[in-house]
Amino acid sequence: MRSDSLFVYNLTLAMQSFKRAPTLYFLIMLTLSIGVGVLCANLALVNSMASDPIPEKSGNLFHINMNTWPDDQPPDEPMHILRYRDAMAITASDLPKRSAVFYASGVYARDAESTSMKRFDSDVRATTPGFFELTNAPFAYGSAFQKSRGMEIVIGDQLNQKIFAGKNSVGKTLELDGELLTIVGVLKPWILRPLFYHPTERRAFNLTDDIFAPLETAIDLGWSIHARSSSAVDYAGIEETRDKDVYYLQVWVELGDVNQKPALQSYLDNYSQQLKDAGEHPLAIKNELHNVNEWLKVNKVVDQKVLAFTLASILFLSVCIFNASSLLLSRFHAAKFEVGLRRAIGASNRHMLMQGLTESVLLGLFTGVIALVLSWLFLKLSVQFLPRLTNLAVLEPKLLVLGMLLALVTSIASALYPLYRANRYTISAELK
Amino acid sequence: MLNMNNISRIYQSDTIQTHALRDFSLNVKAGEFVAVTGPSGSGKSTFLNVAGLLDNFDRGQYELDGVSVQGLKDDELSRLRNEKIGFIFQNYNLIPDYSIFDNVDMPLRYRGFNASERKRRVEQALEKVGLASRFKYLPSQLSGGQQQRVAIARALAGEPKILLADEPTGNLDSLMARQVMEILHDLNKEGATIIMVTHDPDQAREVNRNVQVIDGQLADFKIYAPLDRTSENSGKTVSAAVSASIAEEMENA
Amino acid sequence: MNIKALLKSLLLRKFTTGLLILQLAITLGLLINSVILAVDTNNKLAQDTGLDIDNTLIVSLHPTSGEYRNLDYYRSIVSEDLQQLSELSGVESVSLMNQLPINQRGMLGNVYDLDDPEIVHRDKYLRDSKIFLTNENLSNTLALALLEGRFLTKDDQLDFGSDQNGNVLITESLKKALYGDGSALGQETNNGRIVGVVKDIMLNPTIPVDKQYGVFANRVMEFIFIGRYYLLKISPGQVEAVRNKVSDTILAVQAERDIYRIMTMAEHMKRFYSHDKGLAELFLLLCGLMIFVTAISSYAYSQFHISRQKKYIGIRRALGARKKDILLYVLTENWLVYSIGCALGLVMTLGFNILLSQYISLSKPDIMLFLLASAVIFIAGTIATLIPAIKTSNIPPVIATRTV
Repeated sequence: MRSDSLFVYNLTLAMQSFKRAPTLYFLIMLTLSIGVGVLCANLALVNSMASDPIPEKSGNLFHINMNTWPDDQPPDEPMHILRYRDAMAITASDLPKRSAVFYASGVYARDAESTSMKRFDSDVRATTPGFFELTNAPFAYGSAFQKSRGMEIVIGDQLNQKIFAGKNSVGKTLELDGELLTIVGVLKPWILRPLFYHPTERRAFNLTDDIFAPLETAIDLGWSIHARSSSAVDYAGIEETRDKDVYYLQVWVELGDVNQKPALQSYLDNYSQQLKDAGEHPLAIKNELHNVNEWLKVNKVVDQKVLAFTLASILFLSVCIFNASSLLLSRFHAAKFEVGLRRAIGASNRHMLMQGLTESVLLGLFTGVIALVLSWLFLKLSVQFLPRLTNLAVLEPKLLVLGMLLALVTSIASALYPLYRANRYTISAELK
Repeated sequence: MLNMNNISRIYQSDTIQTHALRDFSLNVKAGEFVAVTGPSGSGKSTFLNVAGLLDNFDRGQYELDGVSVQGLKDDELSRLRNEKIGFIFQNYNLIPDYSIFDNVDMPLRYRGFNASERKRRVEQALEKVGLASRFKYLPSQLSGGQQQRVAIARALAGEPKILLADEPTGNLDSLMARQVMEILHDLNKEGATIIMVTHDPDQAREVNRNVQVIDGQLADFKIYAPLDRTSENSGKTVSAAVSASIAEEMENA
Repeated sequence: MNIKALLKSLLLRKFTTGLLILQLAITLGLLINSVILAVDTNNKLAQDTGLDIDNTLIVSLHPTSGEYRNLDYYRSIVSEDLQQLSELSGVESVSLMNQLPINQRGMLGNVYDLDDPEIVHRDKYLRDSKIFLTNENLSNTLALALLEGRFLTKDDQLDFGSDQNGNVLITESLKKALYGDGSALGQETNNGRIVGVVKDIMLNPTIPVDKQYGVFANRVMEFIFIGRYYLLKISPGQVEAVRNKVSDTILAVQAERDIYRIMTMAEHMKRFYSHDKGLAELFLLLCGLMIFVTAISSYAYSQFHISRQKKYIGIRRALGARKKDILLYVLTENWLVYSIGCALGLVMTLGFNILLSQYISLSKPDIMLFLLASAVIFIAGTIATLIPAIKTSNIPPVIATRTV
């Protein structure tokens, strides 16, 4: 009860203190909240970039790099894009629980029954059916297509919104570059940050695809490759690529047990060795398996520029803390007389400390609120300057809490030395 | 040396006008040692501030060492203070961060002397007050009396025309006060002009001229003394004070 | 001015002074590196591309209808597009390409002389030479400068399903890489027979200027589905007029096309550097904020210090210091702090430069920049402390006789 009322008393004192030097406290709050806001906005970007998009099984999903280029001038060693037959050899193994083989394409889409000729530019993932379970793609309506060949597609929420206003479109037909394909499944809004299944070619922060089509059908229809491809031979269209040395497919596998990784590795190495023995490539046996987080790391999805800027914002925040500290020091010095008086009439050192802390916690809370607003603003501003990061600019609840904590910690940190000094004033006053 | 004629100093607050000095006139000749006494609030501090060019006045004429000071600019007043006046304050007013040497040196720097001239003067002045060996000390490492002697050295170093002392022994015990007074008397014997504000009637008696300020005006000591209670009592307390101070000196010895 | 005594008194309040010095140093470090970043970016944007970037218009587009799967149809529409565009007033020449210059990736390939395939092991840049599929109008449209041989002609065009390599034009740096100072004319490469060499244009700004390897082949009609970019050479001053008509002209030929962007080569270049520029601007923004905060600190520092020194300033005044002596005293004290801050800032600058270089490419700081940035800090600091300094010099000497 007593400490309760003392707490309230401390609060009133803090408010009075703010009122007595409003400019000074305003400056402290402003500088601290700018510092926290800038850092928080950056951390939001870094957080989006560095987070694990599929934590439930990121350790069990592996991206496969292989080294099967037919001559001694491979574009990369090993390559993250594979040839059709290499990819198929992997899916033939029964080690993985499931696998996904895909490439990125693009088509223009319209509702085949619509009178409007308007077509929507749509990103396509031409993939084997294992993709949906492997990536935990969330279905709103219908289900995945079951085979790699068939005039069936699954569409994403955004495209479904654009063409069918978000209604259940299962069974409808889309005209895609002149071909008619039937929708068998519609996904829920699906946000992957980063887009772990395709972080190469700076796509880590693209949205998930609009259309998912069976791989063989896409190849047959000649849907062109919209991502990195390398070929050791000339070819006229993707239709011809199945038995040519054209590298464009990415392969992911899901292992039921991470301990199977060495087995899979030796399966791949065996396969490469057989090719080599047959004289199909001269390269070293070099196949790599990366789980989701390793693969994101290999591809440096965390923007180095943002990291550099985060570093600068940390320095900036420290400058803000130093600033707040010297401002508080002058404030406490000005209140020296009052502190002396309170000590003289019996306030203990602990009381004075509590009063000071109450004040800085209160200051920290105010700062936190302003900082959160500012960090939202800075986030929008950063995206203005760095448009590539637009899809990343989200303030998750986690970051709001972090921002608040940062504000509290900085506020208390900047008050520590001034408080220590203020308590020493009283001692010297007593000595006089 | 110092010539004040009908000086008035009025402090104006929102509602009240206070005449701290009214038609105050005083003439101090070279070599005089003048003690200024008076009850608190009588205007003796204002007198000292005006005399020391620390404060301005509203009416009247003031001539210091032949220079008429009214209408002088701030910079010219600073220069006069620096060259012609040596201050000795009640609370010494040494700069705590500075060593003894730097404290005495400080006004000489504003005078623009070169380093060797400053050094010579500082050493000479500290010699005079018997603290030459302590020049590296900080004020806080010295006793009150020693600090006041440093302050005197600082006042002397500029070789001023006149020394203004404001309750120079106010913060000192009687033994230390004695030492300081002796230094002042010695200086006076060597020809220094000294004006000392004091509330101690004994000290006032020791000097060759005694003036009293009452209600911002100069009162003729001889005329008003018998009517003044403190002066009446002073006769009785002189011997007592002296014997007390001697007793203390014995104790310390 | 007694510098030794000043230093001593600074030491007596080492915490506040230390904080301010640290702030100044960090501010200086960030300021210099941000300016370096901005200067670097500006230099990149100002570098010579070998192109008339202001008078070259780029149209990027893609057909949306399945009709275009018929390549003859596709080709006829594109030919009509080019014809209609070239008839617009202000358009001097029109061409099309599979990819744009001033780009990092795109269609890349090995290039070597058929007699020396091993050369790609000695020069890794040869493995990522840019392969441009275009038509005979490109040299005109981009105003390429011929160094030897001839430009591509209509006769160099290959048809669908051709299995020949045909004739190619190469850039000067590629010629130097393959043939040194000798002539390249008539040489057979894996990409075709060289018929001409043109002066370098900037193909990939992220690699050295003497590694701008490019091969131009008149094959875009053969691979019509990758002819995504129309290039228009515009008479000076006509860019906006033409830009406004391009969409309508193309869509009038055939409406089922998605036109992504109509931009000048200069805008394309800006886009290429937009991330760099954005970062530099963010850094400068942060610097502005930092200088602001540091200015507040300098103000607070001198204000705080002065409030504690009031009495001593009064004593100085009483002992003969003029107002300007006090002003100089206060300013000297601040300048001393700034000097120490800037000296430490030099270390901070170098450290921060090394740290940032781990993440981004950044030039090394130079001494002129350091002096300039120090001057900014001094000026900003002096302005921030001028008011407290003037206030201090106005402290009346009479304070000296007041007892506490």
